[in-house]
Amino acid sequence: MSILLVQFLRVEGLVEDLFLQKEYELGFTYTRSTGPVVGKFLTGLKNKKIFGNRGSDGRVIVPPMEYDPETFQPLNDFVQVSDAGMIESWCWVAEPRPAHPSAVPFAWVMIKLDGADISMIHHVVTDEPSRVVTGARVKASWIDQPVGLISDIRYFVLEK
Amino acid sequence: MGELAAVVGIGQTKYASRRGDVSIAGLVREAAGNALEDADLGFKDIDAVVIGKAPDMFEGVVMPEIYLTDALGANGKPMLRVHTAGSVGGSTALVAASHVQSGTFRRVLTVTFEKQSESNAMWALSSPQPFSVHLNAGAGGYFAPIIREYIRRSNAPSDIGIMVAVKDRLHGARNPLSHLNLPNISHQEVEDSMMLWDPIRFLEACPSSDGACAMIIANEELVSESPKPPAWILGGAMRSEPTIYAGRDEVNPRAGRDCAKEVYAQAGISNPRRQFDCAEVYVPFSWYEPMWLENLGFADQGEGWRLTLDGATSLDEGGDIPWNCSGGVLSSNPIGASGMIRFAEAARQVRGDADQHQVENAQLALGHAYGGGAQFFSMWVVGARKP
Repeated sequence: MSILLVQFLRVEGLVEDLFLQKEYELGFTYTRSTGPVVGKFLTGLKNKKIFGNRGSDGRVIVPPMEYDPETFQPLNDFVQVSDAGMIESWCWVAEPRPAHPSAVPFAWVMIKLDGADISMIHHVVTDEPSRVVTGARVKASWIDQPVGLISDIRYFVLEK
Repeated sequence: MGELAAVVGIGQTKYASRRGDVSIAGLVREAAGNALEDADLGFKDIDAVVIGKAPDMFEGVVMPEIYLTDALGANGKPMLRVHTAGSVGGSTALVAASHVQSGTFRRVLTVTFEKQSESNAMWALSSPQPFSVHLNAGAGGYFAPIIREYIRRSNAPSDIGIMVAVKDRLHGARNPLSHLNLPNISHQEVEDSMMLWDPIRFLEACPSSDGACAMIIANEELVSESPKPPAWILGGAMRSEPTIYAGRDEVNPRAGRDCAKEVYAQAGISNPRRQFDCAEVYVPFSWYEPMWLENLGFADQGEGWRLTLDGATSLDEGGDIPWNCSGGVLSSNPIGASGMIRFAEAARQVRGDADQHQVENAQLALGHAYGGGAQFFSMWVVGARKP
């Protein structure tokens, strides 16, 4: 086939009729070994408890980290924190798309849980978007049968 | 090669089919911590970190080095990821060595790992592609016809591969870190094991392992700050070639021959079998021992299998050039780390620190790795004596 003809078909958007182009899906179910730190956090969620750990500078990090960001030493001093806290920052999503964690309007939020020094990312669902502000109080809404994943916290809700 | 550099610390994990007790971070940290302890150093003494692993699809964690930064004490330091398929453990060590040899850094931590239990390397290597036949062959299926051609060319007895499989597992039984521990393995047992990819039987193939290996490489000035004897790096080389090209000799790849020639020239090796005290060579399938004996110049073309047959490569039989005293890839195979384990085990030998699999008074050793379709090669020569 002449190059000119291929170029013509390309311009006309017909080149795919000449050379096969097709979607294909590649998938594999991996395993995750979470280890003693992230594993502790996830196991806590299963019991509707939130654990952080204390860094070398005394700050409570939530979710817990395996190694101290300053000294690189393993962090083993676990601290249970509250499932309620304060919004540090937020981003309102007025029109959720299918990939979002909520079908109704929600806010991505950085939440500093009571007892924690580092804020954690999650989302808040509310029908009062004007109340989503830095400093607002929120509390976890747990699913009925937690399995040990971050989605065990269905979302956070604004405290009254 | 630039400035002198030496291995001053080595750390490995125990190799196992599944390390479910640790995350990937915990696994690499275990090896890095062991290497620092071996070198009597802390993370504060490290100037840069060089990490390597096999394809990301093996664990499904894309760019794992990013999340491993604090596990490896690399916050605020240069960190570099290396990838050259199965040879990556060797090439990572060479990149780390060149960081020091260039004079850019004084002391470098290098780490490699694989956590095969998180996935299935055979799937990752042979994922079904559209519009072509799905062989699901893995590495063994790729190498089997190449081995068949070696047997045809060399007229080797059909059980040479079985002998290598037994020999490396007996070596591995001396090594407490080894994944496989088969002190009673027999010729018959290997022969009776399932034929996976004719002519490769189940027991002629490497296991799937979780594990990590780490080394500390220091410049000449800092070598004395670590208490144990150093392994001086006397040469290092890498070579690559395409998977397929007209006239390619897959049985005896040119990149392997050229890489050996280069590293021998750097280290002053003219007769590898006589000059080396031992070698740690990447043999994931039994027949690659005689094939690499020839490719690396330890034997003439078509004669490699005779060394295996005569016990020349066996520690247990008192061979003159023991290969894979640690048990080799046939005993432990955390893929991304497997090449570095070869380099590290060569270094352990010349440091006189190989415990039950020590070659007496080893002074000079070869570390070797290969990857891809036997197309990436990395090698180093380490010695007990400062050049």
